[in-house]
Amino acid sequence: LLQKKSNVYSVEIYGTKDLEKTEIGDEEEKYKDLKGNNKKKKAEDLKKELDLEDHKLSTSELEEKYGTSINKGLSSARAAEILARDGPNSLTPPKATPEIIKFLKQMVGGFSILLWIGAVFSWISFGIQLAQGSESPFDNLYLGVVLAVVVILTGIFAYYQEAKSTNIMASFSKMIPQQALVIRDAEKKELSADQLVVGDIVEIKGGDRIPADIRLIFAQGCKVDNSSLTGESEPQSRSCDFTHENPLETRNIAFYSTTCVEGTATGIVINTGDRTVIGRIASLASGVGNEKTPIAIEIEHFVYLVAGVAISIGVLFFIISVSMQNKILDSIIFLIGIIVANVPEGLLATVTVSLSLTAKRMAKKNCLVKNLEAVETLGSTSIICSDKTGTLTQNRMTVAHLWFDNQIYSADTSEDQTTLLMEGQKYTCYKLFVLLCIQRVVVGDASETALLKFAEVILGDIMDIRARNKKVAEIPFNSTNKFQLSIHETDDPKDKRFLLVMKGAPERILERCSTIMINGKEEPLDSEKAEAFQTAYMELGGMGERVLGFCHLYLPENEFPDTYPFDTDSMNFPTSNLCFVGLLSMIDPPRSTVPDAVSKCRSAGIKVIMVTGDHPITAKAIAKSVGIISATSETVEDIAKRLNIPVEQVNRREATAAVVNGMELKDMSLQQLDEILCNHSEIVFARTSPQQKLIIVEGCQRQGAVVAVTGDGVNDSPALKKADIGIAMGIAGSDAAKNAADMVLLDDNFASIVTGVEEGRLIFDNLKKTIAYTLTKNIAELCPFLIYIIASIPMPIGTITILFIDLGTDIIPSVALAYEKAESDIMNRRPRNKRKDRLVNQQLAVYSYLQIGIMQAVGAFVTYFTVYAEQGFLPSTLLGVRVDWENNAINDFEDSYGQQWTKYQRMYLQWTGYTAFFVSITIQQVADLIIRKTRRNSIFQQGLFRNKVIWVGIFSQIGIALILTYGLGHVTALNFTPLRFQYWFVAVPFAILIWVYDEVRKLFIRRYPGSWWDKNMYY
Amino acid sequence: MDTHTPGCTHVCAHMPVRGRQERGIEATVKIKFSFKMRAFGGLILLFYLIFYTCLAGMFAFCMYVMLLTLSPYTPTYRDRVSPPGVMIRPYLNGFTIAFNVSQPSTWQPYVDSMHHFLAAYDDKVQEEKNIECISGQYFIQGGNESEEKKACQFKRSLLQNCSGIEDPTFGYSKGKPCILLKMNRIIGYRPGAGVPVSVSCKVQKGNESNLRSVDFYPGNGTFDLMYYPYYGKITHVNYTSPLVAMHFTDVKKNHLVPIQCSLNGKGIVNDVNSDRFLGRIIFTLSIGK
Repeated sequence: LLQKKSNVYSVEIYGTKDLEKTEIGDEEEKYKDLKGNNKKKKAEDLKKELDLEDHKLSTSELEEKYGTSINKGLSSARAAEILARDGPNSLTPPKATPEIIKFLKQMVGGFSILLWIGAVFSWISFGIQLAQGSESPFDNLYLGVVLAVVVILTGIFAYYQEAKSTNIMASFSKMIPQQALVIRDAEKKELSADQLVVGDIVEIKGGDRIPADIRLIFAQGCKVDNSSLTGESEPQSRSCDFTHENPLETRNIAFYSTTCVEGTATGIVINTGDRTVIGRIASLASGVGNEKTPIAIEIEHFVYLVAGVAISIGVLFFIISVSMQNKILDSIIFLIGIIVANVPEGLLATVTVSLSLTAKRMAKKNCLVKNLEAVETLGSTSIICSDKTGTLTQNRMTVAHLWFDNQIYSADTSEDQTTLLMEGQKYTCYKLFVLLCIQRVVVGDASETALLKFAEVILGDIMDIRARNKKVAEIPFNSTNKFQLSIHETDDPKDKRFLLVMKGAPERILERCSTIMINGKEEPLDSEKAEAFQTAYMELGGMGERVLGFCHLYLPENEFPDTYPFDTDSMNFPTSNLCFVGLLSMIDPPRSTVPDAVSKCRSAGIKVIMVTGDHPITAKAIAKSVGIISATSETVEDIAKRLNIPVEQVNRREATAAVVNGMELKDMSLQQLDEILCNHSEIVFARTSPQQKLIIVEGCQRQGAVVAVTGDGVNDSPALKKADIGIAMGIAGSDAAKNAADMVLLDDNFASIVTGVEEGRLIFDNLKKTIAYTLTKNIAELCPFLIYIIASIPMPIGTITILFIDLGTDIIPSVALAYEKAESDIMNRRPRNKRKDRLVNQQLAVYSYLQIGIMQAVGAFVTYFTVYAEQGFLPSTLLGVRVDWENNAINDFEDSYGQQWTKYQRMYLQWTGYTAFFVSITIQQVADLIIRKTRRNSIFQQGLFRNKVIWVGIFSQIGIALILTYGLGHVTALNFTPLRFQYWFVAVPFAILIWVYDEVRKLFIRRYPGSWWDKNMYY
Repeated sequence: MDTHTPGCTHVCAHMPVRGRQERGIEATVKIKFSFKMRAFGGLILLFYLIFYTCLAGMFAFCMYVMLLTLSPYTPTYRDRVSPPGVMIRPYLNGFTIAFNVSQPSTWQPYVDSMHHFLAAYDDKVQEEKNIECISGQYFIQGGNESEEKKACQFKRSLLQNCSGIEDPTFGYSKGKPCILLKMNRIIGYRPGAGVPVSVSCKVQKGNESNLRSVDFYPGNGTFDLMYYPYYGKITHVNYTSPLVAMHFTDVKKNHLVPIQCSLNGKGIVNDVNSDRFLGRIIFTLSIGK
C-alpha cells in the first residue's frame, strides 16, 4: 500500500495531470447549465468548434488544407487576402460603452436629475417673470444657469475621474506588440503577431509567447506552459505527434497566449484571433454580467434617501406655500431653494475623490484598482477564494528538506534564503548532494531551478564546479524511466574514476541500489534501512513535498578507462547496484507574509478558501502552513482516522475544515456545495479546474457573501468577472484575467489583498463620516426656506449662497475626512453585512439631520436675528413681513425704531443676513468636521492633530469664507457683503455645543455598549 | 474561533429540514421586536422632546442675551439705512400717476390718498401735539435717551397750493397735480450738514420741454433743519416727517412724462444705479384731458 501511495507523489514530479484534462469538456457543460439557456448556444458552439481536426492530419494534408508550404510559407499576397478575410490576429476587446454615453450617464446620474429639475424650474419662472415684465427676472435665469453649470461640472469631474482610472488599465492591455518569426515568400520575416493569418508557418523558441493556435510540424525539446489555459502549472512537452483525440490534449497543438518554456518548434497557424481557443473562452467571459459593486448600491441607496427627503419636503412645502396664498411662481422658487438646499451637490464628487485617494494609496501597496468602486468592495469582502501558486506561495520550487544519514534536515525556505540550517554536517554526503544537484543547465524547470539555487547557496559558483566535474554522458528524464542520470569526471585529479550519479522518483532509485551511504560509509541496504527510507519518504510526502531520490556510483577505473565510449542508448554502464545517497524534497513554499495575512483575515472575519489545481495533500500542507487550515481543526478524514471509524460515520458538522477534491466537486449538487461552504469554516478545494472556480464563487455568493477571487489564467476570467471583486495577478496574470478583474495585484502577494481589505474598510468608515458631515449642513440650509415660508421672515439664505457652501467651503474638509486614521479596531471586526450595515443608515441620517443639523440651524438663526436686530429690525418685527419686505414699491419700509428703508437697503441687509448665515454654518461646520473624525472614540483618543489634512480643510474652509465675504463682498450678483467681524463669533457657542454634545454621545456609546443610546446614536 | 460568514446562517435558515422550527422562532422574535420598538419609539420621542426643548431654551437664551445688548432707542448700527431714501405721495400701486382731468373717477383715488396722508398734518392736530421750533437750525434735544422728545410742527397749511385746503383736489381737477415728497427717517441723521436739503425735479430721459414748470412748497422746496434729528419712534412719538410739495403746473398733456426728483445737499447720495430710491425718486406723470 505504501508503495502505491508514494507513486502518486512521484508522478507529480514531472506530472502530466491526466486527471484534470479530461474534465475540461464536462466542466463547460456544467458552466453552461449554470448560466441558463441564453448561454447554452454559445457554450455548445464552443464545444463544437473545439473539435479540431488539424491535429489528426498529416503535414501534407495540412499544407493542402491551408494552401501553404512548409518550406516557403504563404505568399505575401495570399497572406494579405486572408488577413482581409479573417481580420487581425488579436482578441477583440470587450465592447466598451461609447464615451458619450458614459458622459451623459454622469450628467443624469445621482442628484443631477434633481438639479436639472431645479434649473428648468428656474428658467420657467424666468420666462413667466419676463412675460409679466417683472423687475428682476434675470436672477432666476442666472440661478438656472448656475445649477446647470454645477451639474455639468460635477458630471465632467466624475467622468474625468472614471476615465483616469480606466486609463491605468488601458495601459496594461497595450503591451509591447508581440513579434513572431514567420516564413513567407520562402523568407524568414519578423512580423507583428497580429498580422498572422491561418496557414502561416511560424517558428517558436523558448521564452516566446505562442502567437496563435498552431499545429506543430517540427519540435525539438519543446515545452509549453499551458497554465493560463488549463491551470496546469507544469510545462507540457510538445512534439509533432498526434497523441490524443482531444485537441486540448494532443501534443502537436500549441495554443495562443501560452508560453513556450524551452526548446524550439515550427508550426502552421490554424486559428487566429477570437477563433483561437483562448479567444473563445475570453468571449465567454465577457458574457458574464458585471454585478453592481456594494458601494454603488450604497450610494444609490443614499441618493434615493436624500432625493426622497428633498422631493417630499419640497412638495409638502410647495403645497403649504400655495395654500398660504403665495403666488405659484414664488412657490416654485421656494421649491427650487428646497431642492438645492437638500441636495449635497459636492458630495458625489467628494466620494469619487476619496475613493481615488484610497485607490492611489492602494496602488502604492501594490493593489492596482481598475474600478474605483472596487476599493470599497474589498473592504466588505467576507470570503476570499485564493489561488495557491504564486499568491499564497512564492511560485518557485525550493528545497525544503533533506534526508540522509537516517535523519531529516530542513532547509531555509524563506524568500531570501540566506541561512541554511545545516551546520557541521558530513561534508561528503553534502558534496555529493550538491554535485547531484547541478548536473543540468535547464531554464524553466522548477525542480532543477530549485536544486541549482540550493547548490548555489551552499557551494557558491556553480559554473566552476561544473567545469571541474566535466560531464561525459547524460540520460535526460523521461516519464518511463522516471530518473535522470549523468556521468562525470571527478574534480580530484588523482582519482581517474568516473562518477555516475542518478536522481529521480525515490522508489525507482531505491530499486537500483544495493548499498546506502551512512555517515560517509557505504553500507548494505537491508530491510531495516529500506524501512527507514520508506518512513522518511512518507513523512516528506505527507508534507505535500515533491521528493527526489539520489544515488551514485564510482565506476571502476579498469573497466571504464578515460576513453571509454559511453553510449546512453545502449546503456553500456551499470544502472543497478548503486549506492543510495539520500532524499531531497522540494516545495513551493508559502510567502513569509502570508500566514500573518491569513490570521489577519481570520480576525477580520474573512473566510479564506484555497482553490488550487494541486494535489490535495500538497494543498492541505500549504493550507496548514499558512493557517488557512488552523492547527487545531480537523477534516472529516482526519476525524475518521483519529477515531478509527469509516468516513461515512463521522458527523460532518464536527469537522471545521474540509479538503474538497475537484473530482468530488464535479459530482456534487448545488445543495451539497452550499452545505460544505456553510458548515466548514476552513475549506481547501484541490485539483480543481479553473472552470470549477466559477461554481465555487457562485456557491459563496449564494451564501450572501461578498466574494473576492484571485486568478491569473484565461480560464479564471469568468470567475473573476462573476466575483464581487476579481483580483488578477500582475506578474503571472494573463491579459484576459486582468481585463476581467477589478483589481490587479502588482506583486501577486496575498498579503497585499489584506492591506487592500484594510483600506477598503477604512474608506467605508470614512465615507460614512464624509456623508454625515455633508448631510448635516443640509438641514441648516433647508430650515431657512421652511421658516421663510412658515414665519414669513426675510429670506435668511440665498440659493447661490448654499451652492457656495456645498461646492466651496465644504469640499476640502469632506475630502480631508478620507485621510482619517482607523478607529483602532478596523481589522478585528467582521466584514459588514451588505444587507444590514448600510453606508447611510437611519442613525446617521437622523443624527445628522435631526440633531447636529438642527443645532447648526439654530446657531445660524441666532446670527441671522442678531444681524437684523443690530440694524434695527427686532425679531418681533421680522415675523410676517415677507410680502411687504419683498415689495419693490415700498421704499419707506419702517423698522422697529421708526427708521425707513428703501427696497435696495433692505436687500443689502438681506444679503448681509445671507453672509451671516453662511459664516455661521461655516463656523459650525468646523465643529462638525472635528466631531466627524471619530464615530465612537473621543476626539482626544483619536488625536486632534494626527490628521493634518483635517487642518488644511479647516483653514481652507475659513479661508474661502473670508475670501467670499471680504474679497467678493462687493460683487452684488454673488449676494455676499463684507460682514462685521463680530458676527463670525455669534455661532461659536453653538459650535462648542456641537462638539461637547458629540463627545457626550460618544462617551455614552463607549460606556454603555448595546444600550438604547448605543443603538440609536451610533451611526 | 467563530469564523462563519455572516450570510451563512441566512442560507441555512432556508434549508427545508429546519423550516418549521425557524418560523416559530422568527415569530417570537418579531413580537419581542415590536414590543421593543414601541418602548424605543416612546424613548425616542421623549429624547427628542427634551433635546429640542433644551435647544429651544438655548436659542431663547441667546436671543435674550442678544436683545439685552440692544438699546431700545437707537439701533446699534445705522450704516445700512443712511443716506436717506425718498418716497412720494400719493402712492397707489406704483409710480405712475395717470388720470384724465375730465374724468374725476380717475384722479379721485389720488386725492383721497393725499387727504388721508395729510390728515396727520392738519394744523389743529399739529398745534395740539407739537411745538413751534426755531427755523433754520437743528432741533437738538439733550438729556436722557429715554426722555420723551418733542416734535416740531409741520402744518399742512405750509404746503400752500398743495395743502388741499383751498383746492381740495390738489390741482388734479385742473391737470396740475400736487405730489408730496418725503425723505426717509433715520435716527440721529442731520441732513445737509447745516444747509437745508432742497428738492429739484427734471425730466428723466426725454424731452426737457415736457416739464415746463414746477412749484415747490414750503420755502422753495427745502426740508427745514428744525425737523432734524429724529430720535426714534419710542421717544419721538409725535414726530411727523417734513414734506416738500411739488406742484406740476405745466406738464405736457396726453403724454407719459418720466420725472426724477432728487434731494440735493451735503451727504445726500442720489446717483447710485442699484438703488433708484436713494436720494431721488422716479415717477411718471400721465395727464389726459
